[in-house]
Amino acid sequence: MVRPDSPHNYPGTLGQRPIAVQFHAGSHYVALRLLEGYLPNDKIKLVHYGSPQQRFEAMWRGEVDACVVMEPWIALGEKLGCKALCEGHYLGAENASDDMDEATFAAINRAVGKAIDLLNADKRRYLHYLIDDPRHAQALAKYGGLTPEDFHLPRLRYVKATSYTDEIVADTYHWMVRWGLIDSKASAADLVDNRIARVAATLADDA
Amino acid sequence: MKKVVSEISGAVFSLPWLIAKDHGLFETEGIDMEFVRTRPSGAVPQTESPEEVNPILGHTAFEERRVSIYRA
Repeated sequence: MVRPDSPHNYPGTLGQRPIAVQFHAGSHYVALRLLEGYLPNDKIKLVHYGSPQQRFEAMWRGEVDACVVMEPWIALGEKLGCKALCEGHYLGAENASDDMDEATFAAINRAVGKAIDLLNADKRRYLHYLIDDPRHAQALAKYGGLTPEDFHLPRLRYVKATSYTDEIVADTYHWMVRWGLIDSKASAADLVDNRIARVAATLADDA
Repeated sequence: MKKVVSEISGAVFSLPWLIAKDHGLFETEGIDMEFVRTRPSGAVPQTESPEEVNPILGHTAFEERRVSIYRA
């Protein structure tokens, strides 16, 4: 996302220009995946700025040419006239400790799955959670605030939990190795163990 | 009721979890769900080098075993 008066109108002009992300998080990886389609790798200049608010405000102040953010900062930026140059989505992950048992994980998934049904039936009804999040409510208000009508609903995609496929794990692992984001000596099989999620998915389906 | 403590980070990631708690859906499943909110990070040193940033980011409660699940 870039400022309203930014000269940038598509990602191809962002070469060597600072772009605010949070390293090792979704904004970092999505930025690389999107920009590598427009720019040589060595022209992609990402800068770690931390939280979405810090990234958004660095863009707004002009410290960086662009920032990578998620909702509700996209809705706020668009309300303020900022331009989205490209947009990507990624899979969220539930990360459980090694003492999480299958039955508990399945019960959690059933509860969250029912909530996803409620959410997808009427997304606007639940957007107050994004607007009133204590992490950034004050910051949103500083820029004029948001209402549920300010959000583009198809952007909010919530689906029930499934295990990563081996193919997705392998493709992501090789992509991370190529960008130097993971030790190439590690193997995908060492990093991901879906033994609980797979059983829990079966239990959740049976419920 | 089985007690579970979960990290809650940005609402966009945890939206179904927030709805599930407020609608009593965890309780229906026999789960006593407690949320621990991560705090937004303060000022961070800006860097162009990913090696200078701890990949665990704000998920310290999980690393310290104070929560048993988080999402990102």
